[in-house]
Amino acid sequence: MKYIKEHIMFIFPMLAILLGIESFIVFDRMSANYEQGLKEDYSMLVLADTPVTLPEFKQLDRRISSIDTIEKHSIVKEMAQGMNGISAEDIMQSLPHFYTIHLGSFLDSQEIEQIKGVLLASKAIKKVETFGKSHNSSYNLFIFIRVVLWTFVGFMTFTSLFLVIKQMEIWQFAHKERMQVMEIFGASTMLRSGILFKRAIIDAVIATLLTSGLFAFLRFVWIKQSHIDLLMQREALLFAYKDIAILGGIAMLIVVTAVMMVVIGSKESKL
Amino acid sequence: MANIISASHLTLGYSNNDADIIKNANFKIKKGDFVFITGPSGSGKSTLLRSFYGQLKPKSGNLLVGAQDMNKISKKKLQELRTYFGIIFQDYKLINEWSVAKNVVLPLIIAGYNADVQETQAKRLLKHVKLSEHADRLPLELSGGEQQRIGVARALAKNPTLILADEPTGNLDEYSSNVIWDLMENANEQLDATVVVVTHRIPNIFSIPYRHLIIENKGIYEVH
Repeated sequence: MKYIKEHIMFIFPMLAILLGIESFIVFDRMSANYEQGLKEDYSMLVLADTPVTLPEFKQLDRRISSIDTIEKHSIVKEMAQGMNGISAEDIMQSLPHFYTIHLGSFLDSQEIEQIKGVLLASKAIKKVETFGKSHNSSYNLFIFIRVVLWTFVGFMTFTSLFLVIKQMEIWQFAHKERMQVMEIFGASTMLRSGILFKRAIIDAVIATLLTSGLFAFLRFVWIKQSHIDLLMQREALLFAYKDIAILGGIAMLIVVTAVMMVVIGSKESKL
Repeated sequence: MANIISASHLTLGYSNNDADIIKNANFKIKKGDFVFITGPSGSGKSTLLRSFYGQLKPKSGNLLVGAQDMNKISKKKLQELRTYFGIIFQDYKLINEWSVAKNVVLPLIIAGYNADVQETQAKRLLKHVKLSEHADRLPLELSGGEQQRIGVARALAKNPTLILADEPTGNLDEYSSNVIWDLMENANEQLDATVVVVTHRIPNIFSIPYRHLIIENKGIYEVH
């Protein structure tokens, strides 16, 4: 019973840390996905007197990743049919060239204004429309969610680390005399702390498997049963197999640090 | 006989600011000696013993244990040196969450002997200290005298070159004390181990020759 209690007292805070970290990983993946979506949805409209190619746009600002030329021929043709004496070619020649510009990364409104300024400084470009207001509100919402989650994860990790350290103090008290006796008889640090490492590593593996199992369940079982389209389309973001390695690595780092603290704290004193 | 411990102008203390506990002591302990170190409470008997197993470095002077200069000994060398010692404490210092058998073979575990050797040795040692029937019990389930016999068995586990005992019978009744003294006499005679015992009082009945060092006024003197 005591043995199980000692394990649970370590696994729980580890679990809280790993849940926090996995939540952060999932949010990071989702925010990257969301950012990608915002980036893809966002475009600037450019009017130019003369044709401008992608390399020329890139020369103006490297953050421009692609352009679409807005096709105007069919519209002009329809317009010309309703106008006597004016051919479609005449209209085409008098109209500027329209481009939709896509950016390589998600930028804030200040950076977009900067790009607008650079584009307008070019002789060929007459007008740039940035749709700054809608872009900025999306961006601010995005930043707000990120800050809220980071705060939550940070608080959870801090509280849990405190619990892990408390548990370490209990271990230190429980194992101090054994480690000191072993040291007196010439045991190496590894041998003295072997039992602690073994126990802590088992707990770290259990906490990693429980956390990974929970998120795998959410991805492979719960989402499918939830029938929420928004989630079903993004189920891959909720859990990836590499998360097990990341969580395992972090859990090992925590336990090795924690055990080393116990070992250093149990240095031979006056027996 | 070669010296196993050699002290010259040895001064011991817990820090440079504190008063000296042992001052300017000179003595030698030869291989195979059985040595009692006596002195009043607080005279520095246990402190002296600690310096032998490297828990306390000399403040000044020289202390050689085996071939090792205890002033300069590295952590690694000290670790190795200690595997040649058997140390017995007044309060036993057993690992209470381990069985009696496992406690007894601690030096073999540290030396990396396999489980079969450990088991065989545990049986032999527990038979030697007449505790065979308690092999699977925990130390705290046994009496003080029995716990100290486990401590002695542990000290003998790896046929130590040097046995250091700090008040080994300090907490025991007369019967248990006599058992412990018998075991230590045997270790000295049969294993040819050097034995250094710190004690308040030398036992009345002691059948083998021994040397007596006394600590007085921070100095160490031989009683002839």
